[in-house]
Amino acid sequence: MDVCREIVIEAAPADVWVVVSAPERQAEWFPGMVSSAVDGSTRTIVTAAGGFLLEEVLDIDHARRRFEYRITGPFRLDHHRGRITVSDDPGGSRVVYEQELEPKALTYVLDGAVGDALEGLRDLVVNGRTSRSWVPPDSTSEEGTT
Amino acid sequence: MATRILFVTTDQQRFDALGCNGGRIARTPVIDGLAAAGVRYERAHPQNVVCMPSRATMLTGQHVRNHGVWMNGVPLPADAPTVAGLLHDSGWRTGLFGKAHFEPFLDPFLRFPQNRMGVSGATDDEGRPHRGFDRMEFAGHGSAGLFHYGGWLREHHREHMGSFYPALDGTLDVNSAGGGDTGAPQVHRNETPREAYHTDWVADRALGWLAGLDDDDDWFCWLSFPDPHHPWDPPASELNRVSWRDLDLPAGYPSDVTEREAALDAKGAHWRRWYDGDLVSNFEAPAHWVPATMTPDQVREVDAMAHIENELIDEALGRLLAAVAARGWDDDLHVVFTTDHGEFQGDHGLLFKGPFHVDSLMRLPLVWRPAPSAGVTPSVVADPVGLVDLAPTFCRIAGLGVPEWMDGAPLPISSDDAMARSRPAVLTEWDSVHPDGAEVHMQTVTLDGMVCTRYEAGTCHDGTEGELWDLAADPLQRTNLWDDPDRRVLRDDLVAELDVLLPDRPFEPLRVESPV
Repeated sequence: MDVCREIVIEAAPADVWVVVSAPERQAEWFPGMVSSAVDGSTRTIVTAAGGFLLEEVLDIDHARRRFEYRITGPFRLDHHRGRITVSDDPGGSRVVYEQELEPKALTYVLDGAVGDALEGLRDLVVNGRTSRSWVPPDSTSEEGTT
Repeated sequence: MATRILFVTTDQQRFDALGCNGGRIARTPVIDGLAAAGVRYERAHPQNVVCMPSRATMLTGQHVRNHGVWMNGVPLPADAPTVAGLLHDSGWRTGLFGKAHFEPFLDPFLRFPQNRMGVSGATDDEGRPHRGFDRMEFAGHGSAGLFHYGGWLREHHREHMGSFYPALDGTLDVNSAGGGDTGAPQVHRNETPREAYHTDWVADRALGWLAGLDDDDDWFCWLSFPDPHHPWDPPASELNRVSWRDLDLPAGYPSDVTEREAALDAKGAHWRRWYDGDLVSNFEAPAHWVPATMTPDQVREVDAMAHIENELIDEALGRLLAAVAARGWDDDLHVVFTTDHGEFQGDHGLLFKGPFHVDSLMRLPLVWRPAPSAGVTPSVVADPVGLVDLAPTFCRIAGLGVPEWMDGAPLPISSDDAMARSRPAVLTEWDSVHPDGAEVHMQTVTLDGMVCTRYEAGTCHDGTEGELWDLAADPLQRTNLWDDPDRRVLRDDLVAELDVLLPDRPFEPLRVESPV
């Protein structure tokens, strides 16, 4: 894996998994995402920098608590696969966030962002604090800013 | 009486960009005038030859190993001490306008304060100074990126958002597309009018800030032009300033391919591997461009475009200095002009920069025009100095002691002043580790007219290789003396000196957060 970060969260795996397994909720915990809307298997991420990402949700495996997706646009990657796995841990839950990609130019960007994202996931699950840039869906529709 | 410092930097500018340094292409009368009235440094070296580490050194007065920014993409720690912070805390007004790059540029999730400021338009960090600056307004190398300049361009010249060269290609690699008349990489015709181009914008933002200051304010203004760093896309209206067809090839460009490649082979393996397109050692260079394919006309066109940009910088600086003089501030104004690192611009058959410690990238323009009221006699200093000496110089100008955390020393104001000091040696380091596994590590000392570079073991070197250049006998650095038995003692002495002077490496290097 080109990117592999993990964190132990002081919460039951089921409580972490309910967040991770909901693709539309990623912007709530991934810093720098404004929204994460899902239509079928397509997820559209709007970033705080004014850009967007298109992703395909590949698999949500409740038995293994494993979520898999890939970036499909707007830029071209020869290969991408992201995987988030939630497992039991004496401290609560262990979350491993992995990504593989080609070409490698974005590796460092994704590595740092994934590190922040895991901290954000803990913030949301343990403290109920949402990411700094997330805009709740209701307010976006009211303001017409989607 | 107030004290004022105008710190002017360019990006990736060669020593010979200026007329006062012997340059014969760009007309730079403003900077030449500053040099004639002040101190011109003949051998100023950066402590690293890419932007982020070098700029961190300028801001902190620290060697790379001490500020920790060992490679592009490593953010300067948020709590790093800075000379701007010292001045701010001493009651100075502090501003930075243009390219900062203390934090990574490629930041889609806005993880870094500078990028959040650039996107939101904020000029401070949520009401607080950022890195010691009261006000910051950022520009990069074009309309793209997370900078105030892009927001301004979108608001005032939306039609030119697409006029600049696109820095990244569709796979987010650095763009390799060629343009201009010759297909030279990163050369592009830009229809953005001059008044909307970032060089004038940077001067305008600084002028706006200065206009709001009180007459008796002490101030430190960092005017940071993004040019002549690639892409080379100056306003099309200015292309008639220098015709590439009229230019001679640079002295450092070996026209004969056999000679060129033999000279590269006499250097470390990473030189030839970069030339052949077999090694990416610096993400800022186009990922899919092969230097061996560069034609002489492409060298000349890049040269012309860079010098057009140099002229625009000189004129923008002149405009700002005129406004400062009109305010009656000139007599107490110190002006320091330099750049963060050099550019090959055809030397050795290469473009851009990377792990190459030769004059193309290391010998920098540096001019200090002391305040006329200080009564400093104009001079030329030939002894080596470093960008690490800038922050201590600003401290001395401000009447502050140089703090222990700074590694440099105030710049000498004459050759006699330099001679009176300890043996002048300057350090330059390179470390790069890329996701594809390529690793290059080098350390260099410049001392006694020699440049000695030791390669550490990596993916290109086994740790026994290096470079030894005699600056007087071989100004173009064609004859590597590292393995010359007659220079073995000298080489070993210089390496020993390097070991004495180099700070220890951090126990754990800071994490790379972005390719650039």
